[in-house]
Amino acid sequence: MHPFLNRRSFLGHTATGLSGIALAHLLGQERAFGAPGPIRPQINPANPNAPRSVHFPARAKQVLMIFCSGAVSQVDTFDYKPELIKRHGQPMPGAEGLVTFQGAQGNLNKSPWEFRPRGQSGKMVSDLVPHLGALADEMCFIHSLTGKTNTHGPGENFMATGFTLDGFPSMGAWTTYALGSENDTLPAYVAIPDPRGAPQSAGNFWGPGFLPAAFQGTDFNATQPLRNLSRPSEFSPATDRATREFIATLNRHHLERFPDDSELAARISSYELAARMQLSVPEVADISSEPAHILKMYGADQSGNPVKDLKAAYARNCILARRLVEKGVRFVQLFNGAYQTGGEGVSNWDGHKSLQQQYVKHGEVMDQPTAALLADLKQRGLLADTLVVWCTEFGRMPTFQKGASGRDHNPNGFTAWLAGAGVKKGFSFGATDEFGYKAVENIATVYDFHATILDILGLNHERLSFYHNGIERRLTDVHGHVIKDLLA
Amino acid sequence: MTPRIHRMLVRLIAVALLTTVHAVSPADSTFFESKVRPILEDHCFDCHGDDKQKNKLRLDSVAGILRGGESGEPLLLRGASAESYILKRVTSANDKEVMPPRKGGGERLTAEQVGILRAWIDAGAKMPGEEAAAASLRLKTDHWSFQPVKRPAVTKTGGEIDELVLAKLREKGLTPSAVADRASLIRRVYLVMHGMPPTPMETDEFVNDTRADAYARLVDRVLASPRYGERWARHWMDVVRYADTNGFETNRERKSAYHYRDYIIASLNSDKPYDKFIKEQIAGDALGVDAATGFLVAGPHDVVKSPDINLTLTQRQDELADMVNTTGTAFLGLTMGCARCHNHKFDPILQKDYYAMQAVFAGVKHGERALREKTDTSAQKELVALKAEAATKNAQLDALRKKAETAGSATAQAPLARGKLRPPVNARLNEDTFPPIDATAVKFTILATNSGEPCIDEIEIYDASGQNVALAEKGAIASASGSLPGHEIHKLEHVNDGKTGNENSWIANVRGQSWVQIGFSAKSRIQRIVWSRDRDVRFADRVPTQYRIEVASESGKWTTVASSEDRQQFNAKGDPGDFFAKLPASEASAARKLQADLAGLKTRIDKFSENAWVGNFTAKPERTHRLYRGEPMQKREVIAPDTLTVMGTLGLAVDEPDQQRRVRFAEWIATPQNPLTARVLVNRLWHYTFGNGIVDTPSDFGANGISPTHPELLDWLADEFVKGGWSIKHIQRLILMSATFQQSSTPRADAAAVDADGRYLWRYTPRRLEAEAIRDSMLAVSGTLDLKMGGPGFYLMDVVTENVMHYFPKEKYTPAEYRRMVYLFRIRAAQDGVFGSFDCPDGGSVMAKRSRSNTPLQALNLFNSSFITQQSDLLAKRLRAEAGESPDAQVSLSFRLFYSRPPDAYEQQKSVEMIHAHGLQSFARALYNTSEFLFVF
Repeated sequence: MHPFLNRRSFLGHTATGLSGIALAHLLGQERAFGAPGPIRPQINPANPNAPRSVHFPARAKQVLMIFCSGAVSQVDTFDYKPELIKRHGQPMPGAEGLVTFQGAQGNLNKSPWEFRPRGQSGKMVSDLVPHLGALADEMCFIHSLTGKTNTHGPGENFMATGFTLDGFPSMGAWTTYALGSENDTLPAYVAIPDPRGAPQSAGNFWGPGFLPAAFQGTDFNATQPLRNLSRPSEFSPATDRATREFIATLNRHHLERFPDDSELAARISSYELAARMQLSVPEVADISSEPAHILKMYGADQSGNPVKDLKAAYARNCILARRLVEKGVRFVQLFNGAYQTGGEGVSNWDGHKSLQQQYVKHGEVMDQPTAALLADLKQRGLLADTLVVWCTEFGRMPTFQKGASGRDHNPNGFTAWLAGAGVKKGFSFGATDEFGYKAVENIATVYDFHATILDILGLNHERLSFYHNGIERRLTDVHGHVIKDLLA
Repeated sequence: MTPRIHRMLVRLIAVALLTTVHAVSPADSTFFESKVRPILEDHCFDCHGDDKQKNKLRLDSVAGILRGGESGEPLLLRGASAESYILKRVTSANDKEVMPPRKGGGERLTAEQVGILRAWIDAGAKMPGEEAAAASLRLKTDHWSFQPVKRPAVTKTGGEIDELVLAKLREKGLTPSAVADRASLIRRVYLVMHGMPPTPMETDEFVNDTRADAYARLVDRVLASPRYGERWARHWMDVVRYADTNGFETNRERKSAYHYRDYIIASLNSDKPYDKFIKEQIAGDALGVDAATGFLVAGPHDVVKSPDINLTLTQRQDELADMVNTTGTAFLGLTMGCARCHNHKFDPILQKDYYAMQAVFAGVKHGERALREKTDTSAQKELVALKAEAATKNAQLDALRKKAETAGSATAQAPLARGKLRPPVNARLNEDTFPPIDATAVKFTILATNSGEPCIDEIEIYDASGQNVALAEKGAIASASGSLPGHEIHKLEHVNDGKTGNENSWIANVRGQSWVQIGFSAKSRIQRIVWSRDRDVRFADRVPTQYRIEVASESGKWTTVASSEDRQQFNAKGDPGDFFAKLPASEASAARKLQADLAGLKTRIDKFSENAWVGNFTAKPERTHRLYRGEPMQKREVIAPDTLTVMGTLGLAVDEPDQQRRVRFAEWIATPQNPLTARVLVNRLWHYTFGNGIVDTPSDFGANGISPTHPELLDWLADEFVKGGWSIKHIQRLILMSATFQQSSTPRADAAAVDADGRYLWRYTPRRLEAEAIRDSMLAVSGTLDLKMGGPGFYLMDVVTENVMHYFPKEKYTPAEYRRMVYLFRIRAAQDGVFGSFDCPDGGSVMAKRSRSNTPLQALNLFNSSFITQQSDLLAKRLRAEAGESPDAQVSLSFRLFYSRPPDAYEQQKSVEMIHAHGLQSFARALYNTSEFLFVF
């Protein structure tokens, strides 16, 4: 079938079985507003993650989302501000009386790291992330993102689900709900938590919200295998096999009394899928087969001190991410940084009080492995179909907090970058003011960011919906515009 | 002729007729027609008139002007032109906002025209025919759910449900199915009503019961069982987004939220009339049922505070939105949330209505409150008696303690080798006694700790009569050198709040020297101080190991009365040593018994001051404003607490006391005249019984919801519900007794071709059970289920306590976790490692209808988790114990436990083979994974 799914063929699709009532409802809505109605993918209960059609031709088939928890400072990484360097130590104009998350502001503070031109594009990137800087020609930067909140939990909810509140589906859940998966022996959506733990909004990040549980992310990483994946030691392999067969025997016998019951059939096939997964997940998660030069490229071979150990553990997660992308997993989420353990900024990017000491470590851990992941995807040709998204919940102030050597939260202008399928290379969009405080040019919202990602996947963010508690819910609520300038 | 030219002609004639009247006053009712309307006509009608109604605004009728547009902004604030929206738009300096729009080539109104509008509004904005127009705006909905409930005519009494279902089946050319066999029927009744299968004995009794009313007796029995309330409370907990943690990033535990959960269970078990149930949940504080208001504050709540005012206001708006939305969906099936920013697009709900409802809850705050049930007269009597008993025992113990101190040198035993030193401090409980002394304040100075900043959960200071004079409730005031910032739970007020444990403790802000001081309301003669780090013995860090206690006399002179100098060195394990070892054996054992008794008494006494997560109330809440586009900083006019405009008014004042607002609002919901309340509830009962509601969108009875498949049946049930005194069990009995419910679930191809999903009820449609029913059933069949009701929940997560809480799914299970899942301590944003994949809501938002996913992860969890392995082992033990060693008997018993039926020959043979080849535990593991066990048929 042509990937373009027009209105008529969509209705043709859905005018069967259980969608009868939903369809009537949909038609009713269309009549009322004369505009195209919501698109709710039809889910086959026997295989909820079967591949489904896009709304229009897609630019990317898969997403790798790299999320840095704790709010990465834009002015210490990718948002170069000569004026901030020049006016280091002076008060920020207009900052008198400005109250941010933790209170009052001190003076403007330049980054402790030098910025240098990188690649052909000459993009200025700081020495905190030199490996990523070297790949600046691959990246499509958005420097003008704005958020709705300056607290981590709601901020991470917002980036993850499009809502600051708890209870909404993550972007990955929306994507797998819309598109299913091309690989039926692996989960459609995998979240890879940081070796140090989950991000601040924890399970919300890959949760299904009100979507069916079939679309929630499955969380495991290179150190923590998928729960309940392996055979309990109490049972021998032969017994395990025989038990599985015995379950199928009883289930099939029972099904004879309920022929054509799709839910019961789905149950039986879910055990078949599970059996396949028990073979394929350990295989994909086993990175011991990776050659030495790959381990070295990611930094997965490093050790000798706690930072290097941590870097190696994160690097192994990066390799796992690449292997999952390689296998066609629809949505892969890779986390860098975990929620507060040992105080703010120690295990994530929340550098309030001693930014330099903390970021030295975070940069070391994140930079090389993440850059290697991007380079590795590229050299294997995987960027042709995969969109890479690097983001964080909000930015930080160009000033130091009063009486401290770190930066407070700042949702008024922060940076994210995209790379790979569907987006421009070596391109920068939008800008913050002269100090990197507020977005002033091509201001973009997180809704726009989400709308653009869905668009790249061939999904109309205004129409992809799920009916919950009386509302046709969308990832982008009632907002969002696709940022067309980013598209290749 | 274009409409515009036509209008101009008409006006020319009108103006000509009016020329005889000169200088019309703005206060005159003809001013509108002669001066104002012409301006609107020339500049506004093209977009807001007969042809087009941009943003749903019409200015060509009085009603249209009164109603305003989609933004919800009232166009006119009579007498206040500066604040009137229409004036703001026509005078806006912003080219994107100004009306008529610049973009469409519109021209700004002249100063003279603006002056006319301003004068008219300031003079009261009179318009001809206003009353009629206002009346036409009222009650303008013909949507079915807002119409009064109409009991349909039925031919016979006693079979109304079946008659109405049959009528619909006939209409669709369908026929009903035969009655299910007895074994299937009892299994269905138990799974639906209790969430667990019947025992083999219960099944046998019913299958063999030959009495004509055997089924009616079964229904009565099932409705009378406490298991019923537990099962149906879980459904209600979905509807009211219940969970035991705050959610958001810190996600702290609400250890006392369970009081509300227990209230729901008890209410359902006692068949509390639903109107009463509603009123108690919204205004239980006015009705002596404090636990019920847990409803208001059961939702997520962000505790991260900031000096940033915008953030603070947004958080409060989000809290109130959670209350408004939940109340709207739970009781009324209305989606109020849509009207937070603008008038509802589908339903007759104005933006103003959202804020009127928000005003109802303006006095409600998240937090704990004392339960009145614990403070009434009889409870007070019991408390006094307990306290007296404790005082007597304390005095006896004091005597023994003194004796032990003086006896120290006489009985030279091993522990005394270290001289006359007192036992070392410990985390759990420390005591310092001294000769009675008059004091106005006590200062506790910490000189060193075993780790980190010092932490104290309670300081008790006793006078000669055994009264703790340090308590804040007695007027004592605590002060300190400083408190650790960023740790919400470790507040100074905890040192003398009468509550102990880490959650009720104070932490100082520095590691070195720090102090905490308690000043008394009046001079007291004190002699004993008891203090601790964590009386629950969960934490032993931050213990003050070197300290000094000083008391202040009335003249302000400080005297040291005790210190750590005469104690043995701190023992890392916190072993308090045995202080009474120095006494003769009989006295020592008496002392230890007194200690134990006092600990028990303390637990009982503490229960009386126990608070519950049921919310706090501000008697005089701040005024509620409508917020433009829902923005907290964009306050508009003040709004009084009220119902929906379309459904009348409560007539409350803007400053109505908090409790009165909620009482009146609850009464309005719970009145028989409210067309939504009864319909919504009977539909929920239907939904949970059959898997689908008569209205398939149980929390949306608005225009965006789905229309009822059986509107007459819905109305009959709603009417019967109210007539039956709002008895939930009455309706459930009728449903269970209906032939509709008792139909077989066997599929029929002919009927399925017409109605595959069984919406018209031609059979009982099978469906997968919910996570809770699956887990409860698993424990029930293995015989390990602990039926203890109520109280604090059990955990399926290990908890690591920091400023933010960390939760990790348990890998090992003990009998403490073998309770029904309704008693699970439910953690937001964290899913149980086994059952979380079964569409188990986490209380993040209202879940009126759960999905029923089938996923490979569910299969992995049920096949490989340590929970199932362990339960399989326990089940195997049960089978051996009850059926002996014969596989035939084991198979027979297990099928009756799992499926409420004996195995057929094929199943028997295959099962025996399985047991022979792979053992009983593997067989058990398999049964837990079968569809027949996981579904209701």
